[in-house]
Amino acid sequence: MKRLLVVLIFLFPLTIGMNAQSKKKLGGFNSKSNQQSKFLDKQWWLGFKAGTNLSNPSPIKRYTVMTPTNYPQASTDKAYESFNKMGSQATLEATFYYKGFSFSVQPTYRHSQFTYSNQYRWDNPENTAEKLILQYDQEQKTDYADFPLIVKYDILKGKIRPYVQAGIFYTMLINANKSVQVSGTDYASGGTNQFNNDPIIVGAKDLFTNYWGMMAGLGVNYNVGNIRFVLDASYWKSMSNITNVNNRYSNDLLSGIGEAPDNLDLNNIVISAGVLFPMRFLSNSFNTLDR
Amino acid sequence: MRFLLIISLIILLGSCLNESDPASDKSNFTRIYDNDQFNSSFYPIDMKQTPDGGYLILGGRRIKDSNFSGIYIMKVDEFGAFISEQEVDEGFVNPIGPLLENGGKYFFFCMTSVGLQTQLLQLDAEGALGHPISIIGSYPAAASIDGNNFLLLSYDNFNKQSVVSIIAPSGTITQSKGFSIGAGDAVEEPIINHFLRTGKQFPFLVGKTTSGQYYFNGFYNYTLSLVFTNLNDDQPQGVVQGQQDDGGISQLVSLDGGKFALSRFNFTDNYFVPNSTLSTSGVSSSIDLGGNPLPELAANASVKILRTNIGAKKIAIYGSDTRSTQIVLYGYDESNGEFIGSRYLGFSNPFEIASILSTADGGLAVCGTTYVAGRFPRICLFKLSSEEVTKSFH
Repeated sequence: MKRLLVVLIFLFPLTIGMNAQSKKKLGGFNSKSNQQSKFLDKQWWLGFKAGTNLSNPSPIKRYTVMTPTNYPQASTDKAYESFNKMGSQATLEATFYYKGFSFSVQPTYRHSQFTYSNQYRWDNPENTAEKLILQYDQEQKTDYADFPLIVKYDILKGKIRPYVQAGIFYTMLINANKSVQVSGTDYASGGTNQFNNDPIIVGAKDLFTNYWGMMAGLGVNYNVGNIRFVLDASYWKSMSNITNVNNRYSNDLLSGIGEAPDNLDLNNIVISAGVLFPMRFLSNSFNTLDR
Repeated sequence: MRFLLIISLIILLGSCLNESDPASDKSNFTRIYDNDQFNSSFYPIDMKQTPDGGYLILGGRRIKDSNFSGIYIMKVDEFGAFISEQEVDEGFVNPIGPLLENGGKYFFFCMTSVGLQTQLLQLDAEGALGHPISIIGSYPAAASIDGNNFLLLSYDNFNKQSVVSIIAPSGTITQSKGFSIGAGDAVEEPIINHFLRTGKQFPFLVGKTTSGQYYFNGFYNYTLSLVFTNLNDDQPQGVVQGQQDDGGISQLVSLDGGKFALSRFNFTDNYFVPNSTLSTSGVSSSIDLGGNPLPELAANASVKILRTNIGAKKIAIYGSDTRSTQIVLYGYDESNGEFIGSRYLGFSNPFEIASILSTADGGLAVCGTTYVAGRFPRICLFKLSSEEVTKSFH
């Protein structure tokens, strides 16, 4: 219910803005100053951008196959690493600008990565030589199609136009892979036997699912001629579980080694740069803000 | 405006559908119950679902002071989460399955480590142990329910007999009959090695057919045989002979209409006979039963058979161990023996089946042994939802 309220509060100004646009009649273009004014007040921008992202997985509820009977359950918890693996994304941007506010749709192809690890050990208090330590290092690679609806507000109105932005997004899973590297030290085989098994690499699309979330960030537009360069950074927070709860144990290869995915929020820092083109006033005789 | 509203509703609906669902967490899980002691060894024998939806698991464990297996009892909840364990006093060894449910209690047979006298132990649904009851006899090998009583197959090493007994929950033996395994030590040696778990594990069975005839799968006349008896006559009514200890019946369940779902092994090969008319009189050979050859199964594989329903269809699910160290479930239509599907469980580390049961939610639970890190024997539990079962055996 709380999430519903947040979404509705967010959507309210967005819808008001769009309604206002649809009701307002377009003015004439009788003079150049009038054109510039119109250009400044109202514009469609279309372009693309690309960049990198860093992931921060956050467990909502932990799950495990390995269930301890004589040691703490918490010791089997996965240790997630945050913002340690770079992903990438490519975005098409369509933005409607109106008097400082921009309403933007930015379908994005995003590749994200994150890692976690856990460790198990077995020993014999009566014989220190009987000891085995296993380390499971797991890497997830996910490909998503993001569909954000974003509102931006330009803080300054000059050639360099910093802005703040916020929005909601829905993310559709395209593909996922997972690799598990098992390494360990066996002290019981007559010496200190350190080993690295070949990684187990599996398709993991069934383990993940679509999700939605909210985003907020900062950016700057830099206008050169009729073209606008854009650089922005935002934080994307998932508001629903990215793990497919119905397939948690479906991969025998993974559950056989004790792996079951937790319910996860996937949060990302997304940094993109790109270029936007105005859809109105595109003629050789008219230059934009920087003329 | 309407478009945005629809989008936001779709988003919210989509997100709600994937929220953590307790029903889903109960209906479908995999668990491996780990102990961090390097030299610990646990294996399950049987399990039952308790009225609270959890599972009571009877197992064996390695103990220091006996060559026989000790007794291990574990209780887990409906999600498979560990609740309690009990390492039963080492004075009691050699637990055998199945867990016998009677009057809301769970019974199993074992024997004393000194004297090797048979004991009847009782558990409540939480796994708490009651007082043991001494039973005349030694080396319990197999058990089953017979109305309000228990059937027990045991080995009498003094008289060298396979003994079938009817035992009341109070421990009173109401009827008993012994059948000679044959003279000499050679035939006894593999039996003792079975109990010590140092040799071949024989599929000892005891039960009652739907027509009321008793049977046991054990040693008779130098051979692992399926023997039919009325427990009155000294001679069996019928015998299905194996091949000494190299062949015979590996699992048997009595079906409606005097038929049987069974499996057999013969010099490491395995065969499933899902709809068989056994000769319960006279002498016959297990080889003559034919059956579907299962070359993917491990040599002399352990087999469990579960009768269950999927919709209106009665099916027999065979659970066994593959050469690739997975657990495999094969489903057959009870009425005609037609194959209807399979399901594989476990990978990466070795898995071996111990028990399979239908759960209250219409799914299946499969209990087995896995070798964690490829070396530590531990108990594992697979819970399959009714949807998964239907999908696998439709």
